[in-house]
Amino acid sequence: MPGIWVYSEDNTLARQLLTAGQKLKETMGQPLGVIAISGEEIHAFIAAGADKVYVLQGENSWPESYAGAVADIISKEAASVLLIGGTLRGKDVAAKVAAKRKTGLVTDALTVKYANNRIETTRLVYGGLAVRTEAVSLPALVTIPPRTYAEAEPAADRQGEISTIDAANKDTRLEIRNVCPIVREAVDISTAQRIVCVGRGLAKKEDLAAVEKLVKAIGAEIGCTRGLSEDYHWLPNERYIGISGQKVKPELYISLGVSGQVQHVVGMRDSKLIVAVDTNEKAPIFAAADYGIVGDLYEVLPLLTEAMANK
Amino acid sequence: MPKVLVCYKWVLDEQDIKIKAGDLSLDSGRAKGKISDYDKNAIEAAVLLVEKYGGSAAALTFGNTKVKQSLKDALSRGPGQAYWIGDDAIADKADAFITANILAAAIRKTDSYDLILCGEGSSDVYNQQIAPRIATLLEIPIVTFVKEIGIETEKVIATRKLGECTETIEIKGPAVISVLPEINKPRIPSLKQVMAAAKKPSAEIKVSDLGLARDDLEAKVVVLSDAGYVMNRKNILFKEASQADNVAKLVANLAQEGIS
Ligand SMILES: Cc1cc2nc3c(=O)[nH]c(=O)nc-3n(C[C@H](O)[C@H](O)[C@H](O)COP(=O)(O)OP(=O)(O)OC[C@H]3O[C@@H](n4cnc5c(N)ncnc54)[C@H](O)[C@@H]3O)c2cc1C
Repeated sequence: MPGIWVYSEDNTLARQLLTAGQKLKETMGQPLGVIAISGEEIHAFIAAGADKVYVLQGENSWPESYAGAVADIISKEAASVLLIGGTLRGKDVAAKVAAKRKTGLVTDALTVKYANNRIETTRLVYGGLAVRTEAVSLPALVTIPPRTYAEAEPAADRQGEISTIDAANKDTRLEIRNVCPIVREAVDISTAQRIVCVGRGLAKKEDLAAVEKLVKAIGAEIGCTRGLSEDYHWLPNERYIGISGQKVKPELYISLGVSGQVQHVVGMRDSKLIVAVDTNEKAPIFAAADYGIVGDLYEVLPLLTEAMANK
Repeated sequence: MPKVLVCYKWVLDEQDIKIKAGDLSLDSGRAKGKISDYDKNAIEAAVLLVEKYGGSAAALTFGNTKVKQSLKDALSRGPGQAYWIGDDAIADKADAFITANILAAAIRKTDSYDLILCGEGSSDVYNQQIAPRIATLLEIPIVTFVKEIGIETEKVIATRKLGECTETIEIKGPAVISVLPEINKPRIPSLKQVMAAAKKPSAEIKVSDLGLARDDLEAKVVVLSDAGYVMNRKNILFKEASQADNVAKLVANLAQEGIS
């Protein structure tokens, strides 16, 4: 029977997608299902709106190896929509399922709705310069980034059907030698309330010490542009902000020596208040800022730190 | 000695795209083409593999007829030869479904490869689908988001980076790999390399020679509209000569905003 399906290797994300799924269920009048690779939250999924849950069980614990099994289910169920959690693993699986089933797939959708017998989505293109609206013919696949939707509220007394399926997901051509977790830093800047972001206007690594003083004075987290972490390795990769890095929305974002190219700005433009310091009055960061100081960060930083510390 | 193929996309440089003030439509009239930034990393990775382990690197691109302009830049980055597919009517409506169908068919037609490299996404529309789609169509393994590639006796070792972990994967037989920008720093071709590129062979492949069905060339995703993202900010600039004055004004304004 045609239905709306949700898949993520991450159960929390799957519950967020159920929120999007429930809206589609209302407009499309089709049941909602979850495909999971762990059985731990079956009942939570049902409470959160799933009418049916498939749990895939395979010999291979690598989430990416479940694409074939996911494709088989959406084919067997004649799914009209499959929403996939937009983690890196999820995007990998999504594209493989789309290729197997010869369907369209929209990556990183900001919104999803049913209209004109198709799925209509919006997402960012050209590094965040523009929002693109697209229509996907059914069956439609869409990946949705984490935290786009709040988790669906659980309801008591919901009933749902549960099936466990064996997934033939062994692949002798690939051997995953080791899966080693990167130790995440204690603080995740994507949820920080205040951020001081440094760019290549900073001349040398040692000068980060002066930036840290401001960071301390206002109770912020330090962030940076891509070059500072990926090229110079002055700060960990988890600290760079932008389309390929972290998306942040603090109450206060202060940039020092950041030019404000769109790939960076897209990661911070949802901040409540944006302050920029840059020597170049024409730097695009000022168009993205509420307040700006045109000046040398080496002059401004100590003054600003002192002023904020004295508050 | 690996035979490597690298796929790249010729995209509009987003820095040249302007948002029209009135209706927020995009004006790409003055936008120049460039090799997608992420694909420069893929080309570099292919060439570094060949420099280290021998073998050969070829490049493949699909786009409108303007892709031909990209060949010189692509070849000056090190691949020994290039294949290009330029079709205005199809490129105009091509989604990831069509593009992958065309690339996979072209790969089958040209040769067999040990390794096919792609960037993790394209810098214009960033679908991040082509590498896994091609691998699925060619029925070979795919390893995405790779930051390191090595070759050990008949095996490719790829280290991929996910948010919270790195995984090292051993691959037997041909495979597709998508690379992260951090895998390398693309070279800036020297004058000599640019000159040499002009002498390298390139071959056009026609979509009509790929044996694709009509359905394979019908888009599943249709663009309805593009609208420039507008920022609504106060844009208050302090630019006195005295930074002490500027900072004082800023701090006063922040205080008004409730930030101290
Ligand atoms: C596909 C793609 C993806 C990308 N993804 C990201 C991403 O996720 N995140 C990201 O950050 N970037 C990303 N980038 C890079 C991005 O386009 C910019 O190149 C980058 O953000 C610029 O970093 P920056 O502002 O630190 O450096 P620059 O652009 O070099 O700017 C430095 C600024 O410092 C100013 N300055 C210099 N000296 C001083 C001083 N003494 N005092 C005050 N100001 C000074 C200069 O006027 C200038 O404005 C991406 C690029 C591409 C092509």
